Amino acid sequence: MNIVSVLFVGVGGDGIITASNIVAQACMLAGYDVKKSEIHGMSQRGGSVSASVRFGDKVYSPTDKLGSVQYMLATEKIEMLRWVRYLNRDSVVVVNDRIVPIIGQTIDEDRIDNMVEQVQTKTLVKRKFLLDSEKLGNPRLSNTIMLGVLSNFLEIDEKYFHDAIDLILPEKLRTINQSAFSYGKNLIYDNTSGE
Amino acid sequence: MGLKIIKKILSGNQAISIGAYKGNARFASGYPGTPSSEILEHFKNYPNVIAQWAPNEKAGLEAALGASIAGVRSFATMKHVGLNVAADPLMTASYTGVNAGFVVVSADDPGMHSSQNEQDNRRYAKFAKVPLIEPSDPYEAMAFMQYAFVVSEKFDTPVILRSTTRISHSLGVVQFDPRTLDNEKELSLAKDFKKYVMIPANAIERHRVVIDRLAKLKEFSNQTPINKLEKGKTDFGIVTSSMAYNYVKELIPDANIFKVGFSYPMPVDKIREFAKDLNRVIVVEELEPFMEEELKIAGIEAEGKKYFPENGEFNLDIVEEGLKKAGVIRERATTVYFDGFELPKRPPALCPGCPHRPIFDILHSRKDIFITGDIGCYTLGCLPPLSAMHTTVCMGASISMGVGASKVQKEDKVVAIIGDSTFFHTGIQPLIDAQINGANLTVIILDNRITAMTGGQPDPGSGFTLKGEEVNPIRIYELAKAIGIERVFEIDQYDYKATKELINREIDTDALSVIIPTRPCVLAPKRIKDRQLVVIPDKCVGCKRCLRIACPAIDFKNNKAIIDEFLCTGCEVCKNVCPVEGAIVHKEEK
Repeated sequence: MNIVSVLFVGVGGDGIITASNIVAQACMLAGYDVKKSEIHGMSQRGGSVSASVRFGDKVYSPTDKLGSVQYMLATEKIEMLRWVRYLNRDSVVVVNDRIVPIIGQTIDEDRIDNMVEQVQTKTLVKRKFLLDSEKLGNPRLSNTIMLGVLSNFLEIDEKYFHDAIDLILPEKLRTINQSAFSYGKNLIYDNTSGE
Repeated sequence: MGLKIIKKILSGNQAISIGAYKGNARFASGYPGTPSSEILEHFKNYPNVIAQWAPNEKAGLEAALGASIAGVRSFATMKHVGLNVAADPLMTASYTGVNAGFVVVSADDPGMHSSQNEQDNRRYAKFAKVPLIEPSDPYEAMAFMQYAFVVSEKFDTPVILRSTTRISHSLGVVQFDPRTLDNEKELSLAKDFKKYVMIPANAIERHRVVIDRLAKLKEFSNQTPINKLEKGKTDFGIVTSSMAYNYVKELIPDANIFKVGFSYPMPVDKIREFAKDLNRVIVVEELEPFMEEELKIAGIEAEGKKYFPENGEFNLDIVEEGLKKAGVIRERATTVYFDGFELPKRPPALCPGCPHRPIFDILHSRKDIFITGDIGCYTLGCLPPLSAMHTTVCMGASISMGVGASKVQKEDKVVAIIGDSTFFHTGIQPLIDAQINGANLTVIILDNRITAMTGGQPDPGSGFTLKGEEVNPIRIYELAKAIGIERVFEIDQYDYKATKELINREIDTDALSVIIPTRPCVLAPKRIKDRQLVVIPDKCVGCKRCLRIACPAIDFKNNKAIIDEFLCTGCEVCKNVCPVEGAIVHKEEK
C-alpha cells in the first residue's frame, strides 16, 4: 500500500502534538507502520506548528513531499493556507474556522476566507468547531471533534481511534474526548468545495 | 523471566534513553538543549539510575567521564553547540579512554529549528579521533545507543552518538525486548596514573595509543553490521546515513545503497568494494560533505555536494531535486497544485504573562543603550515590536561581550541581558570578568528560576533536581555579592514603575551593577494565572501602546484593543503601559 499522510498544522499551544499522537497510535494499533515528525523548541512559543503522520506497510520518511498530503487537519485558517503547497486536488482538509491573531498584524478575515475558497480540494470542511466544542461543554474539544470528522475518510477502524484516545490522554479527559470524537464522526457538515 | 517484546511508538530521544538503559548505562548527565532535552527526562524514570542536569555541557560530560572511570557505564547529552562547551574534556577524554562504556550524545539541528548555527558535529569525531555512530530512525536510535557502549569498552574510547532534530523528534514504531544487557564484566574504580593523569609525559604515550586505536577502528568500521550494503537494481550507488537515508529509500526504493551507521572512521574498504561494479557513487548527506571527503581521501570517486546543499535541513523535495541534478532520476514526481499565498509570518513570541516582557518594554524606550543579549526564551526580545537586543552569539556571551563593548565605546551605555539558567551555564565567569576588569555595565539577570526555552528543566536556582528532589537553590543575588559587586538589586518586575526607575538609574550610573528581576516563569514549574484583564472599549483611544509589548493575548479590532480571555494571565503589563487611566481593568471591575 502507498504511504498515506495526515498533516496537522496550527499555532503553538493548539494541541497539534496530542492530536497527531492519537492518529499515529491508531495507525499502529491498526497494524500499520507509522512515522511521525514534529517540531519543538522555538515554535512552541505561539509560532506556526506542524506535525506529520505517515502510515503504510513500510514508512521511511517522517515528513511529506509537496503536493502529496492526502489529509490535513488545520486548527486555524492562516496556518492551513501556509501549508497549501503540500495539498493536491484529492486532498481532504478539515479546518477550524478561526483565526489566531498575529502580533503586529492586522488581519482581514474576508481576504483569508477568500483564499481558503481558492483551495479547491475534493473535500474541504471548514466549520466553527469551537461552537461544537462549547456545545459539548468544554472549549478545548475542537481538535478531537475534527479528528472524528477526519476519521470518516481514513481507512482505519473507528475502534482504534477510541483505543488511541484512551492510551494517549490522561484519565480525566478520556470520556469527554471519546464523546467529542463520536460527535465529530457523526457530524453532518457542509463540504465547502461543494462536491 | 520470559521474553516479552514491547511494541511502541517512540521518539528518537525516548529510544536513545531506552537504548542506554538496555546497554546498562546507570549514570547520565547533560544540559538541556533542543533537540536533546528529552533524553535525560525519559532516562531519569528508570529505577537505579543516576540522571542529573549539570550547569553546563562541560560539567555534564566530565561528570559522565568520571562515572565511567569509576566503573559505571555513563553518557552525557547535549545539543550540537553544547559540544563546543564540552569540547575541552572530549578532546582529552579521547586520550584517557574509558573504563566502563562512555557515550557522548550530540543532537544536531540542521535547519536551525531552535539554534544559533547549524554546525555539523560529525567533525568532532574526526577532530577528537573517536568513533561516530549515526542512527536513522527511532529503532536504530535505541539499538545503536546500546551498541555504542559495547564499542566504547571494546576500543577503550568515548563514542559520539549523533542525532539530529528530525531523528530526535520524529516518532516511529519500535519493537524491543526491554531487558538490559548483562554486563560482561564487573568493573570497579580504575586508578591508573599513566592512563588517566594527562600530564605531558603520559599524554605523549596516550596520543600514540589513540592513533593505534584509530587504525583498529578503521578496520572495525569495515566489519560492523551497522555499515551495510542494501543491494538494489540501479547502475549507480548511493552512500547515505542518518535521516537522509530515509529520503533516498522512499524516492528510489530499488537503489543500490550503502547505509552508513558507523560513520567515523568511514568503512572505506567496504565502500570501495561496493563501488567496484557501479558506474557512479553519489553521497547523500545532510550539511557538510563529511563522508564525501573521507571517500575522496581514500581515492574513491564520489560525488555529493555538487548536487546537494551544504546548508539547511534535507527533506524529500530537496533530496529529489539533488538526485535529479545528479541525473539519477529523470523527472521529479512532485507536482505543486496550489501556489502558496502571501501570508503574514507567525514568529514565536513571549508567552502571555511572561515576566521578561516588561524588561524589554522598558529597554526599548531607551535609544541610548547597546544591549548584548543571550540564549533563551528572552532572545525573542530581539524581535519587533520589542526590538531590544543588539547581539546574540552563544550561551553566556551577553555579559562578556558587554564587557568588551563597554570598554571601548563612549556614546551608548551597555546593558547585558541573560537568563538564570544561561547565567549558571556560562555567565558567572563573565560576571567575574566584568568585576575584576572594572566594566561600566548594567547586567540584567532574568531570574525566572527555570530553563524555560527547552520546556522547563530545573537549573541551580530552581530548588529541585531533574529527579524532583529538593535542594537548596543558589541565589544569584548572593553569588553576585560574593564576587564583590556592590550594586546588586532584586526587583519584582510586575511593579513596572519601580523597575523602570531602577533600570534607568543603573544605566545612568557609571558603575557595574546587577539587576535581578525575580518573577518566576509563567509556565513552569507551574502555570500561573492571575485575575484576567479586559479593555473598556469606550475608554480605549486606539493608541496601540499596548500592542508594543507584543502580548499574544492582545489584539486590535475596529480601532480598539481587545484582550483574549483564555490567554490573559493578569500580569498587568498592558495596564501599566496604557496611557489612559481605567481603560484596562480587571474583569470583575468592569
